[in-house]
Amino acid sequence: MSLHYGDPQIAIGAVFAVLALLLAVAFFVIGVQAGTEVGFQRVHDVAYWLRKRWLALLVVIGVFVVGISLFDLPYASGGAGGRTIVKVTGGQFFWSLVPDQVPAGTRIRFDVTSIDVNHGFGLYDPHGHLIGSVQAMPGYHNKLDLTLGEAGVYRIRCLELCGLNHSTMQDTFTVTAH
Amino acid sequence: MQAATAAPASQVLHRGAAAFTIEARGIERRVGLLFAVSGLALVLLMGVLGLVMRLTQATVISLSPGWFYRLLTLHGVGMITGVVLVMMGALWYALHQTVPLRPGRMFTSYGLIMAGALCVLVATLVGGFGAGWTFLPPLPFYPAGQWSTWSESVFFVGNLLVGVGFFVYCLDVLEQTTSRYGGLVRTLGWQYLRGREPEAPPPQAIAATVVAIDGLLSMAAGMTIVVGLLGRTYDAKVGFDALVAKNLVYFFGHSIANLAIYLAAGAVYVLIPRYAGRPYETTKVFVAGWAGSLLFIATAYSHHLYMDFVQPEWAQVGSEVASYGALIPVAVITIYSMTMLVWGSRYRWTLASTLLYVGLAGWAIGGVGAVIDSLIPINFRLHNTTWVVAHFHTYLILTVLLWAFAFLAHLLERNADRTTSRGGRIWTITLILVGGYGLTGTWFVEGALGVPRRYAIQPPGTSGYSLAGSIFALLLALGFLSLCLQLTPLARTAWERRHYVVVEHMDSWTGSRYRARVARGPETPRPLEALVDTGVPLASPAQLGLGVAGCVVGLAAFFPQVVDASEASIRYHHLDHAGQFLLGVMLGLVLGSLPTVSRRLGERPTLGLTAVIAAPALMMLVMVPRFYEPLERHPFEHALYHLAMAALGLVTGLGATRLGGVTGRLAAFLAVGMAVMFAAAMK
Repeated sequence: MSLHYGDPQIAIGAVFAVLALLLAVAFFVIGVQAGTEVGFQRVHDVAYWLRKRWLALLVVIGVFVVGISLFDLPYASGGAGGRTIVKVTGGQFFWSLVPDQVPAGTRIRFDVTSIDVNHGFGLYDPHGHLIGSVQAMPGYHNKLDLTLGEAGVYRIRCLELCGLNHSTMQDTFTVTAH
Repeated sequence: MQAATAAPASQVLHRGAAAFTIEARGIERRVGLLFAVSGLALVLLMGVLGLVMRLTQATVISLSPGWFYRLLTLHGVGMITGVVLVMMGALWYALHQTVPLRPGRMFTSYGLIMAGALCVLVATLVGGFGAGWTFLPPLPFYPAGQWSTWSESVFFVGNLLVGVGFFVYCLDVLEQTTSRYGGLVRTLGWQYLRGREPEAPPPQAIAATVVAIDGLLSMAAGMTIVVGLLGRTYDAKVGFDALVAKNLVYFFGHSIANLAIYLAAGAVYVLIPRYAGRPYETTKVFVAGWAGSLLFIATAYSHHLYMDFVQPEWAQVGSEVASYGALIPVAVITIYSMTMLVWGSRYRWTLASTLLYVGLAGWAIGGVGAVIDSLIPINFRLHNTTWVVAHFHTYLILTVLLWAFAFLAHLLERNADRTTSRGGRIWTITLILVGGYGLTGTWFVEGALGVPRRYAIQPPGTSGYSLAGSIFALLLALGFLSLCLQLTPLARTAWERRHYVVVEHMDSWTGSRYRARVARGPETPRPLEALVDTGVPLASPAQLGLGVAGCVVGLAAFFPQVVDASEASIRYHHLDHAGQFLLGVMLGLVLGSLPTVSRRLGERPTLGLTAVIAAPALMMLVMVPRFYEPLERHPFEHALYHLAMAALGLVTGLGATRLGGVTGRLAAFLAVGMAVMFAAAMK
């Protein structure tokens, strides 16, 4: 199964590319302007006027994006609430999932832990999109709530350096059709 | 008859810079060159390893996973060490002109860091250690046949030496800046911010003080976990709490990598104005911004733990706010102000000044990538993918590394009084930008695709990205080679001008004039301002009273009921040890601060420095079951062991009083903090 871009990742990449391009253009323009001569007092006055707006803009953007993000935190809270618990255990260099298949549309709580070192539970859907991750830690149980609506074979890849065979530590999880 | 030619006006700085540029002393140039050349040599070597790893991922060359992870580990530690080394030198160069930093301390730092780097080199290349620069416990002790036990010890000793080297540097910076400007509040410019003083310290001093405080906090966390890991190498019974240990590792590792760019910022505040011909002065916005950075640098690290869902949610959200918050001072003060200085300045374009300017863009672009990834729902889909690799390589290669070369170029250009050819500069910078942004671009694209980082073998169908990345990495390597080739003749001219002077002679027979090179006389050292007396940590009766109160709190750790209760778990037991250590520290602070005792102890700053580092490390090293379990069977010996904890605390406290008021208090606080963090990380 090869990897493919998920919708959020394409949007994230596009936003980054646009911002990076804008910054590159801004630095180019400033670099060209650097060769001219403008009185420092004039630069000072305009730049400080602009800086207040720049600060306000960054604060507004910050409040907005951080605020929005709080509505979409991936952290499970409270009891399983009728979710099917899938016990996930990582070890050098294997995954164990019990049960290892569920029907499509099942509300799942992945209960993720490790028997030895830190691992990363990265879940890829049948199309190879990375749909989320959580760490598998020795002595702790991280709980990830997901509902997998699409039937197919999901792949789990390790996303935390765990030793020699880190890059081949994979397994599958099957979501069956109704 | 002979007449020496007058030294020409500087050809490499802006003509307006003469009004505020202070000529560097010999020691500043020597320290700067030593750190720049050593650090850059390390960085270039590590860059070759990076190229080898990228070619392996592209399946162009074949490297076993064992060797891949050895190189990955060495590359990570070596790169961070290299860039931090250069930037320590750059900030020292910039700061020493106004603050009397001690060369002896700087050379001690240098020796410790270089010895540490050597240890890491041996542990990885010879011992096979490959747990990554993050070495998340307990991975180092699960080698899967890849590395030997001794390599674990050597690796941890290496990290400890690097951490202690930076700790020594930060202590000296903090001690000297707070002495020079009269206490911490004044040095950070807060009195000026509140309108109580008309002037604030210069920008580089405020930046350096913030870096020193955050550096000390994070190095204390690093020393704690590394000493704990070292204890584990000789006692398998030592166990770690995976979550607390991870917090300590990232507080250490993330912070030191992050501080490299803030160290650089302090130097850039001095260097860019020299090419723009406009001085950069402290404003209230600047002071407020760096106060924010002080907090954000120390707290942003925990975005590395977003996917550790057991980390308290308030800490996760706090880290998200801190990670975004860290952007604001950078965007509103450092990058914005520097571009403001450059705008319409008839900027003097030389090799150094071009690298400085281009580096600003790298911080902005890499910073955007970092901020995007620091939002938790996005991190959920990008965590530990190559997106992370992309953003930190953007500002490490295209900002910190460029500024590292810029600093070296500045030193050489100033000495040579010339720069390189315009054509050569354009080609070099173009190669670096195309190679650098191309390389990081492939990681950004792969990261969005979901390719995990740190894979010796890439997922199927993605090796093409690695191949493209390798080609860009080769272009980048060519760019840096070209840069070195430009710096070499500059270095030769600089050396000649530093050691020889061209004089004009007139032949008394023929009357014709000719020029000859003669050795330059010794430089007249410009004296450093004398160090202000810094006092002791507990100077007033109220402070002494607080110290005594601290002793009483620490004394509780010796109560039989408390000692018995602490046997409930290893963590509580170590917490009891921390209490005993606290008693000693507070007692040492009180005694050492008493005028009579202080006079008898004398200044002894080096002894004080050694005490505040060695005594807490020793305290943690003996807190392993192998050492204390046999003693617990004998009440008298057990009591002696607890007394030894207090005695080590006493040595720490007395040592702290030799470091001055601000630094002494912080050193004592960090020592007790190390004992508490150690207790929290164990299980």
